[in-house]
Amino acid sequence: MSQRTERRGIHVDQSDLLCKKGCGYYGNTAWQGLCSKCWREEYQRVRQKQIQDDWALAEKLQREEEAAYASSHGVQTQSHGPFSKFEEKKTNEKTRKVTTVKKFFSPSSRTPPKKETQDSKTPSPSISRHASFDTDQVSKDFVEFLKNLQKPGREIHKQCRAFLVNMSSKKDISAEELSECVQDFYQNMVDRLMTHFKGSSESVEQVMDQVEKYIMTRLYKSVFCPETTDDEKKDLATQKRIRALHWVTIQMLCVSMDEEIPEVSENVVKAITDIIEMDSKRVPRDKLACITRCSKHIFSAIKITKNEPASADDFLPALIYIVLKANPPRLQSNIQYITRFCNPSRLMTGEDGYYFTNLCCAAAFIEKLDAQSLNLSPEEFERYMSGQASPRFNSSEGDWTSSGAASESTSINPVLVQLNQNLELLSSLSSRQERLVEAAHSLQADLLSWTESVKKEVNDILEKYPLEIQTCSVSAIDANNVDNENLPPPLTPQVFAG
Amino acid sequence: MAAGGAGSNKTYSFKVVLLGEGCVGKTSLVLRYCENKFNDKHITTLQASFLTKKLNIAGKRVNLAIWDTAGQERFHALGPIYYRDSNGAVLVYDITDEDSFQKVKNWVKELRKMLGNEICLCIVGNKIDLDKDRHVSVDEAERYAESVGAKHYHTSAKLNKGIEELFLDLCKRMMENAQADERLKGNGSSQSASSWRGVQIVDDDPQATPAGGCCSSG
Ligand SMILES: Nc1nc2c(ncn2[C@@H]2O[C@H](COP(=O)(O)OP(=O)(O)OP(=O)(O)O)[C@@H](O)[C@H]2O)c(=O)[nH]1
Ligand SMILES: [Mg+2]
Ligand SMILES: [Zn+2]
Repeated sequence: MSQRTERRGIHVDQSDLLCKKGCGYYGNTAWQGLCSKCWREEYQRVRQKQIQDDWALAEKLQREEEAAYASSHGVQTQSHGPFSKFEEKKTNEKTRKVTTVKKFFSPSSRTPPKKETQDSKTPSPSISRHASFDTDQVSKDFVEFLKNLQKPGREIHKQCRAFLVNMSSKKDISAEELSECVQDFYQNMVDRLMTHFKGSSESVEQVMDQVEKYIMTRLYKSVFCPETTDDEKKDLATQKRIRALHWVTIQMLCVSMDEEIPEVSENVVKAITDIIEMDSKRVPRDKLACITRCSKHIFSAIKITKNEPASADDFLPALIYIVLKANPPRLQSNIQYITRFCNPSRLMTGEDGYYFTNLCCAAAFIEKLDAQSLNLSPEEFERYMSGQASPRFNSSEGDWTSSGAASESTSINPVLVQLNQNLELLSSLSSRQERLVEAAHSLQADLLSWTESVKKEVNDILEKYPLEIQTCSVSAIDANNVDNENLPPPLTPQVFAG
Repeated sequence: MAAGGAGSNKTYSFKVVLLGEGCVGKTSLVLRYCENKFNDKHITTLQASFLTKKLNIAGKRVNLAIWDTAGQERFHALGPIYYRDSNGAVLVYDITDEDSFQKVKNWVKELRKMLGNEICLCIVGNKIDLDKDRHVSVDEAERYAESVGAKHYHTSAKLNKGIEELFLDLCKRMMENAQADERLKGNGSSQSASSWRGVQIVDDDPQATPAGGCCSSG
């Protein structure tokens, strides 16, 4: 009973699970709600289109760029645009190590227009693309966004593409090194933008958000939970751990959310949905946004319950509870991915960073959780962990004392009453089981003896009336025309007078 | 322009963590500071665990992000995850509660051990409106703060005393730190992210660690 109420809230409609194309198969969120077949079809179509559009865009940009150069300088003077000017100054005073990406920020990284873009739509193999639905949209949005920035926008686009090409050649490096590369790239970009935009940190943030989105959408497949790490192992461990902790109650964690209040449980469900959704996002910032939305729902739930703003002491236990209930897919991988590839300014001081930090705390707490953290005795904790006992019965005392079924023992601990009832039920079940097994055995015996008796009967009959196969003496009329002579002559028509 | 670069119109962003035992008034302090509210049941604030305040100090813009932390003992081990990359820490005790002052001392040891001198520490004796029940002597508290390179403040979230000064002072100190940092780095427009990555929880109990160099070095 209480198990069911505990789980109440996450309703999934059957229809939510079916393929969005309505083909009748089950869909999958990883395939945008389509089934594998429909997804493949859709994916091929969109991918083809994306490749075309992408190259058309690249071509157009290239043309624009050239036109701009041609009109602004009669002669090509190797150094164009505010970035390049800055670059000269910058390289002189640069002291930090930026080895990984430095070379992309020098004018020499400007490549001449590619032949193939002019005469064909075949994509260059140099950019390894992890294409999918949104990659297309993201590239387009990015280019749109950069257009408004004019020249610097083109420069940014070029840097990003160059960076992606370079990253695609880095196959066997560790996750930490990958992270290092991306962070260096962000850092360089910020430095350049800061100087270019002359300190408007809001616009720099804006650009960086777009850059992160563009780059990480493309890198996602190759850098999320990479094989060089044990992220996946940790994911599995965490998932198992959370499953093993299914018995932890809201009271043990001292969470100030009263799920009896409909509005609260609504927020709890939303918070769970949000944290689960995190795994489906590809851009670190979008993942952070899921965590933030989850946190806001938790705050609402606490606010409604307590009628005062949630402090960290309310929030963290509640978040732990939500994580335990949600068991979010690939929690560790997601945390690692955000840590490695998110734009650092968000993680360190922003609001998103605060919630993310709390999620890290929740994950760490769950990993290390012991009897003490739940105010239990080590014995109790062990019993719950091993499944020998469940704390849930405590919460349903009332039902058992009033049930009257074990009236003489109502004065005893209701848990014991429940235990006895369960034992009774179990023993009656096991006797029924025995009877069932017996019946099955006799049925089996009956079946065997039946086949035996049928066999015997058949044999008896066969003995009584042995089958005598007589040689065939009849043959088809026109079989061989051997006996034609024996046949009577054909009938001749007779005339009847009438 | 060359020298200015990021300097003149840069916005400083600081992260400050609030640490201290349960019930000493951390949440009350930050709510009073950011929203000028105290024990107000009808407040519109949704949460009081992450609050920001924009300041303008000597013509420089400062974004202050104040991180409330869970004070319960069972969350103690999570401290390092909260305070990594903090520019400042506000360590709060309740002047009527001697134990809470002891807790502050433990936090100081831990922070100095983990973050060295990079972090600006403020030790705050809260609830001075309850001075008649004082159990922590002013003298002792101030001497202790000085010995560990922290500033000491007296506040009352209830009467709104000392709080503005506390945070303004802290911001000025963090700005000095940041400027010194920039001079060192030459042109550091933002902190490196590398320190963020790979921070692990430390298991050791701060109470068990022997009083190390931090206290004797004053
Ligand atoms: N008299 C007086 N009471 C205060 C003052 N500041 C806080 N309080 C009271 O102290 C109690 C605890 O305050 P909180 O702000 O919740 O303390 P906290 O440190 O956030 O506690 P946790 O969140 O449990 O760690 C509340 O009842 C406040 O009303 C103060 O300056 N004077
Ligand atoms: Mg609090
Ligand atoms: Zn389908």
